[in-house]
Amino acid sequence: MAKTVLVVDDSPTMRQMVAFTLTNAGYQVVEAGNGKEAVGKVNGGAKPDLVVTDLNMPEMDGITLIKEIRKMPALKFTPILMLTTEASDDKKKAGQAAGATGWIVKPFNPEQMMAVIKKVLPG
Amino acid sequence: MSTDLSHFKNAFFEESQEHLTTIEEGLLQLEQRPGDIDLLNRIFRGAHSIKGNSGMFGFTAVSQFTHKMESVLDQLRSSQMVVTVEITDLLLQSLDCLKTLIDCAKTGESPDEAQIARLGAQLEACQGGTPAATPSTPAATPRHAQLQGAHHFTITWVPPRYLFQRGLDPVQFIKELGDLGSVTSVILDTSRLPALTDLDPEQCYLGWTIEVDTVKDLKVIEAVFDFVREDSTLTIVDTPPPVEESHSTSDGTKPLGEILVETGVVSQSQLNQALSQQKRVGEILVEQKIATPEQISEALKKQTESSAPSKKAETPSIRVDTVKIDRLINLVGELVITQSMLSDLGSRFEMSQLPVLLERVAQLERNTREIQERVMGIRMVPIGNAFSRFPRLVRDLSGKAGKKIHLILSGEETELDKTVIESIGDPLTHLVRNSADHGLEPPDERVAAGKPEQGTIRLNAFHEGGNICITVEDDGRGLNRDKILAKGIKQGLIAETDKLSDEQIWMLIFKPGFSTAEKVTDVSGRGVGMDVVKRNIEGLGGTVSIKTSAGKGTTFTLKLPLTLAIIEGMTVRVGKDTYIVPLLSILESIQPRREMIKTLVGKGELVNVRGTYLPLMRLYDVFRLEPELSDPTKAILLILETEGERVAVMVDEILGQQQVVIKSMEQNFRKIEGVAGATILGDGTVGFILDVRGLLTIARQGKAKAA
Repeated sequence: MAKTVLVVDDSPTMRQMVAFTLTNAGYQVVEAGNGKEAVGKVNGGAKPDLVVTDLNMPEMDGITLIKEIRKMPALKFTPILMLTTEASDDKKKAGQAAGATGWIVKPFNPEQMMAVIKKVLPG
Repeated sequence: MSTDLSHFKNAFFEESQEHLTTIEEGLLQLEQRPGDIDLLNRIFRGAHSIKGNSGMFGFTAVSQFTHKMESVLDQLRSSQMVVTVEITDLLLQSLDCLKTLIDCAKTGESPDEAQIARLGAQLEACQGGTPAATPSTPAATPRHAQLQGAHHFTITWVPPRYLFQRGLDPVQFIKELGDLGSVTSVILDTSRLPALTDLDPEQCYLGWTIEVDTVKDLKVIEAVFDFVREDSTLTIVDTPPPVEESHSTSDGTKPLGEILVETGVVSQSQLNQALSQQKRVGEILVEQKIATPEQISEALKKQTESSAPSKKAETPSIRVDTVKIDRLINLVGELVITQSMLSDLGSRFEMSQLPVLLERVAQLERNTREIQERVMGIRMVPIGNAFSRFPRLVRDLSGKAGKKIHLILSGEETELDKTVIESIGDPLTHLVRNSADHGLEPPDERVAAGKPEQGTIRLNAFHEGGNICITVEDDGRGLNRDKILAKGIKQGLIAETDKLSDEQIWMLIFKPGFSTAEKVTDVSGRGVGMDVVKRNIEGLGGTVSIKTSAGKGTTFTLKLPLTLAIIEGMTVRVGKDTYIVPLLSILESIQPRREMIKTLVGKGELVNVRGTYLPLMRLYDVFRLEPELSDPTKAILLILETEGERVAVMVDEILGQQQVVIKSMEQNFRKIEGVAGATILGDGTVGFILDVRGLLTIARQGKAKAA
């Protein structure tokens, strides 16, 4: 069965691009516009095998989302990748402390993104 | 895998437009509420998204510039800087520059580098000169990496205990190493495993020693452990296997040059020099006269062309609320049900079922009409998009003119056809400018007149019947009747003897040439005339009207059709031909009595409708047709109204009412006076749609001829 990826980003363009790339690679994609929406989707029955989330978002930011996801028994061990433009380590550390698996630094091309995803998502 | 993302560019440009608007609105509000963190966050997020997205498409100029803006915004957000007028000005200027940059990215033109550099420097300077880091771009593979040969890495790795809790799987790491080369041995280290009673199954107590043969260098191997490196105990040792000398590097062995350097035969710099003398394929081929330089450069050009992203024509797109789409899909569902009910009925139809059939057909009609409305609705966007530029415009204008202006926007949610919204921006801008420049008085004059120092311009949009009304209202000095009249006479637009209503006098300011010269209000103009406003609005099938009261202010009202493509029409017959009259312009239809019709010298035929004489037009005269009826008392008179003027149009018969799709006459044939367009009727014939305004003009000309 195709793996499901939950893509969380407030920018529709970014979301569409990530979703498009993932769909092309044979993944199922669930999209959410911010952390709150993402939590809603998970509570509503979405069972992602991987979460890809932006950090800067309205309503609920990425760090809070990661913390929320780690609290859910079903998603305790699910890989979470954060999308970040910050080259600085602060954000990466904050994300990791919250429970993020890794990061994808923007800008990235589809190949780079898939490489990172392959890293954390058992094929 | 290669995935082309270029078709997301349009989405990017559209989204960026929204972010730009958010930033602009935010910056303007920021002046009033400098400490509003939510607002700052919203502005920041807009800039942040543009930066991130533009980088994805390789618009580095955009992302680098946005980065600088973002840095300033970030400092404002974290209260390291305070919002001042200077900073807002700078940010607004930068925003304009960013807009240009994005436009340039869209069209492929090159932006004004000097301005970018200047603003960029200012943005950096205002944060206390901290040099801004540019977003990281993937570095090109360094040359030395290619020079390296095979490695044999021995990796000892003890991951952090929390490994599993971050969604990491040790097997993935070993697999990834396997993708980079061949894993020759994996030894599990279980020495840290506690007693079973103390074991927390969610923790990782294991370690591994992994040996890998690979052509990749240390950095690549280290990158595998990127996500855990900080908390892991990780050692990677390169123990190169004995190398057999080989000239080939493609199988992963060391190149000759490197070995020569290692064994001390040549130095690295000597090697580099030798390597730099290596010739390119093209050069060698030219030297050996196999190819001409032209052929080579042609081939090189092809190479660059194929690698350069192809410039695609911009296709207009529209973003639609998903709710609208969902409703449409529901309706289509209903349509399908109705259709299947009908075909079911048709398969075993008896005359007794006629009422059922009629009911179903009525249902089909309802469905179709609703779908049509919804589909048209997709083209509808809130006028707020067109309004959003005005806070900025008014701010700039008030600064330049030294006036205090308060702008009130209302009715932003009113929806209007996308094409109309796009074409209405310029006329509206001109009207707002006009109000700010000429309508509103300077502060001292306002105070002297007992008005508040701050002038008000109000933009409002609302529905009225089948139209959208947009008003631009100011509380300024109002239009000066005598001045306009004098001006009109001086310019020969009207005769001194002409008796004009106030309404007609106001309309003079829309005459070409009227506003370009000395202005009514004696304030210097901006070069674009009000006639352009009127022409633009009329081009959209709309009208402009003015209400003004001396000393109290002026209101311009734009009346626009909801959509340009479909109108509700009354079908009428003249002789053998069918015409469509826009329903909105029909006031009533009458069959006159003989005594109601008068013929006046110089005025043509008139009909008295409840005390008012209206010009009577025989449609068959206008279009030179063969009528069935030439006696008005036997025919039907339609009383049509537009722009406050009325006319009675004589037709043979009223056929019915229906919605018609307008087809342009100009595009398919040529313009015909008195005809707004054509449509295909139910029976397949072409029907002309009457242009009421055009008919009125013809009526007036006819009057003139008769006189």
